[in-house]
Amino acid sequence: MEIKKTGVAGTMESSDIIVRIEPKNTEGVELTLESAVMQQYGRQIEKVIRETLEGLGVTSAYVNAVDKGALDCTVAARTLAAAYRAAESKDYVWNGGSIR
Amino acid sequence: MEFYPAAGVVLTKERLEKTESFLRAMGLRYEGGADYTVQLVSEYGEILGNGCLCGNILKYIAVSPALQGEGAALTIVSELVSEAFRRGVTKLFLFTKAGNEMLFRGAGFYTVVSTNEVCFMENSRGGFDRWISSIERREGVKAAAVMNCNPFTKGHRYLIENAAKQADSLYVFVVSEDRSVFSFEDRMSMVKEGVSDIENVVVCPSGDYMISYATFPTYFMKEGADAETANARLDLALFARKIAPALGITKRFVGTEPYCGVTRNYNELMKELLPKEGIEVIELERYGGVSASLVRAAMKKKDILTLSRLVPESTLRVIRERYM
Repeated sequence: MEIKKTGVAGTMESSDIIVRIEPKNTEGVELTLESAVMQQYGRQIEKVIRETLEGLGVTSAYVNAVDKGALDCTVAARTLAAAYRAAESKDYVWNGGSIR
Repeated sequence: MEFYPAAGVVLTKERLEKTESFLRAMGLRYEGGADYTVQLVSEYGEILGNGCLCGNILKYIAVSPALQGEGAALTIVSELVSEAFRRGVTKLFLFTKAGNEMLFRGAGFYTVVSTNEVCFMENSRGGFDRWISSIERREGVKAAAVMNCNPFTKGHRYLIENAAKQADSLYVFVVSEDRSVFSFEDRMSMVKEGVSDIENVVVCPSGDYMISYATFPTYFMKEGADAETANARLDLALFARKIAPALGITKRFVGTEPYCGVTRNYNELMKELLPKEGIEVIELERYGGVSASLVRAAMKKKDILTLSRLVPESTLRVIRERYM
């Protein structure tokens, strides 16, 4: 999946996460994460985001996420939505993420 | 304390007065420019919190002491960020008092630079680094000049020509902010064409990180000269600590300023602060009575003769084609 423009999904409300995906000229996914529960779940959130993007075949993107304590399913859903928006794609395969 | 968020508040005359007085009580001055406003109100309609989106800048963010510590500021910021994204504006900036950094960090903002008074933040980590790495690198002694060029005059040409003689390479940063009579695109091409024969000049946009509307919010902090000084300090800190080291710039050129008080104040501060950071400031005498404001006055009178005395051929062409 090719990231064509900036795509955003989510909010900064409690238990949600806001994910922003932007185009990048080079290969690789560069992720910055800010989380209210960074020390406890930072790695897990990063893993879910990366796996979700892998599942979609996104290999090049800047990803910025601000988490307010979202569950894994929320993290995956917001990442999926942001990626589809950023790719200007509507061929949704909602089980394409890490949560099956 | 109970509060209700109100998004997309319309600042009618009455509402505006209430907002202004709320902000004043919080130590901020409203200077207009709000595209979208979010407020927190009590059940009696009293304003307890405020935040505005002005282009790509989050401004006028304040929360009544009665609400602080309840995540109220986050509600405002979250609402503003969502609205900005809905409008397709994704690169966002904000200014805050140095003590509030952590609060905005939690909303996904990262510090670009901070002084004792003001902190300048952006919503992508490494946004500044990406911008600076897009600028051409040069060898040897490097100098810089920042100009609006509204429009490009013989005065600008004179300054650039002389500055270029005193360095191996001269970076000319053209102010990117589109708030001038001449569009950024036209200003950029006038400068490029006007100096195309000087080999060691690199013309580039100032981006979001130099004397832009973003780095100069005169509204910030308490009234008067202090606010201006705080903003100028921030702009200079950004130049001295981030931009100059990344590009290896050791000299900054500036023209003498006989007219504008804000610019004069800025130039004075520049001479005071930059040398402390290892950057030499060189003030060049203005080229015999040429100024961009004189050009704009002559344009109004359609005075071609005066114009041709003030601006180079390339600028005159742009004026005649698109601005007269």
